[in-house]
Amino acid sequence: MSAVPADAPASSSSGAHGSTAPGMRGHAWGPLRREWIKLLFQRRSYLIWAGMLAIPFLVSLALKLAGSGPHENGGGGGPAFLDRVLGNGMYVPLASLSALLPFLLPMAASMVAGYMVAGEAELGTLRIILLRPVKRGSMLLSKWVVAMLYLAVGFLLVLVGGVVFGGLFFGLHPMVTLSGTTLSVVHGLGLTGLVFLYGLAAMSCMVSLALLFSVLTDSSLTALIGAVIFYIVVQIVIAFSYFAWLRPWVFPNYFLEYVSFFRDPIYWTPILKGLASFGAWSFGLTLVAYLLFRRKDVLS
Amino acid sequence: MTQAVAEAQTQSESTGRPEQQNCSGRPVVLSTHALTKQFGTLLAVDALDMQVCRGDVFGFLGPNGAGKTTVIRLVLGLIHPTSGHAEVCGHRVPGQLQGALRHVAGFVDDPTFYPLMSARRNLRLLGSMSGPVSEERIDEVLEIAGLRERSESRVGGFSHGMKQRLGIAQALLHSPELIVLDEPTSGLDPRGMKDVRELIRELGASGTTVFLSSHLLHEVEQVCTRAVILNRGRIVVQGPVSELRPQNDAVKVLTDDQSRAAATLRAQFGAAGVIEDDGFLVVQAGEETVPEMVRRLVADGLAVRAVVPAPEQGLEDFFLELTGADDAKPATESRRRGIARVLGRRR
Repeated sequence: MSAVPADAPASSSSGAHGSTAPGMRGHAWGPLRREWIKLLFQRRSYLIWAGMLAIPFLVSLALKLAGSGPHENGGGGGPAFLDRVLGNGMYVPLASLSALLPFLLPMAASMVAGYMVAGEAELGTLRIILLRPVKRGSMLLSKWVVAMLYLAVGFLLVLVGGVVFGGLFFGLHPMVTLSGTTLSVVHGLGLTGLVFLYGLAAMSCMVSLALLFSVLTDSSLTALIGAVIFYIVVQIVIAFSYFAWLRPWVFPNYFLEYVSFFRDPIYWTPILKGLASFGAWSFGLTLVAYLLFRRKDVLS
Repeated sequence: MTQAVAEAQTQSESTGRPEQQNCSGRPVVLSTHALTKQFGTLLAVDALDMQVCRGDVFGFLGPNGAGKTTVIRLVLGLIHPTSGHAEVCGHRVPGQLQGALRHVAGFVDDPTFYPLMSARRNLRLLGSMSGPVSEERIDEVLEIAGLRERSESRVGGFSHGMKQRLGIAQALLHSPELIVLDEPTSGLDPRGMKDVRELIRELGASGTTVFLSSHLLHEVEQVCTRAVILNRGRIVVQGPVSELRPQNDAVKVLTDDQSRAAATLRAQFGAAGVIEDDGFLVVQAGEETVPEMVRRLVADGLAVRAVVPAPEQGLEDFFLELTGADDAKPATESRRRGIARVLGRRR
């Protein structure tokens, strides 16, 4: 090690001179940028995105190969919209979303958000970043926003991938709504975009849930498993008619309400109920995560 | 034990708490006030009171498990005290943690970084959390840490020692008033240790306050101006480092006839002053007595083969002495008997 430069210690501003490091300018966006960069420096981030992009391709390919079979409405027994895909690529993004939403997307959301705090604790970097003058609340909020941003990119990949692969395999044609009316390609794409935003709002609950588990533990795997198990248990519980009274109060109940966008006119009541539920759960879970993180003893 | 140490112990016994150190008009950079941390039934830090003055290179000594890292975590706001508080550069912790963290940098335990990022990108990322940081400054601290040539290498491929150096580099980024280093030489090779110690000395000489946690007495002695010794969450000794270390006046003597030499030396220093240890005669005598000792041995017709300083008292023994841990002796004796039994069976 060489000698300490004369201006190194004692001066509190010496580090601020000269050209500022690229990509770190701006206080408001700084925390988000840092979290985003950290996310981009994880291999699993690309793996999840690749998986999400693969779904519309695989859905298109599988349906194209099975193209000679029956494809009347409701005839295939697959996820919603799947049977309509044959002959119209406009349904591929929705078919992909309906394939992802029940399990893979909650899993991806839990994986990303579960790593946010617990993963850093596991790695040992949590204690390094908490020695910097950044409030724990804003740090946690940045992590939440970046997890959502990450999922938004994933949703965009599914949407764009669905339109591209659907267009290539089946062509893009006017869509038929659940009410039997026809929508133009542009109108259909607009509604598909709203469906994806609804799906993203639904995933905000999973992000908040996984973030809460991430604060509670120092193991990202435990955080992931905790969030996914919670989600699965809720799904199982509300499947029983005995617990039907519980359904309006739990967020997974509203995951598939996006189909209401494809009624003519749009049936807003279940959509708004779903959004209210997602908002309440996200806020509540994130608030609990914040209260715990604020007082958390970092021993990792 | 020196008089200063003895006095510190007496004060500790009479007041129940070591007396506050005097900064002689210098500002107090770090202080703790009845700082206490309890984990379940374990009292990790017990009503700790200490002061670190501006410009100090302050040694924070203690054996493993003494509570050093817990104190550092408390001071840096990583964990919350059960009672009491700390003050860092006039900011109360917890309470005004963000204000405190603007003046302090360092690392706790092993410094850790994002393994897939380069050293430079790690510094850029961490540095930006404390405000703008220039590329020139990043180059400077990498140079100081001796990592300039590896600045673009991924940290995941760094050795433990290189990570320690990078930890010091990130601590220097914003030229803080107080640098907290938790065992910074652990895992370093002798050359690395020497470099880090020199750097700490230079930081101290340039006016930066350094809080150095270590379990190596000689390390603290080499680089620190003042120190406290912590044991079981309590300060047992504090004071200037020069007065902290136990004095060791013993020398080891080897002659061609140790029995006759022992008789000669016992006549000079008394029976209690000369003991046999591993073929040597250990004589409790200062350096000034060595010429006379050798003269007498030679006068008795003995060939003096070696006179060397006896190994200094280890920190562990020093602790046992300071803390009066006599209960450790029966355990040691019992262990010796156990080993003897095992060896006996083998024979």
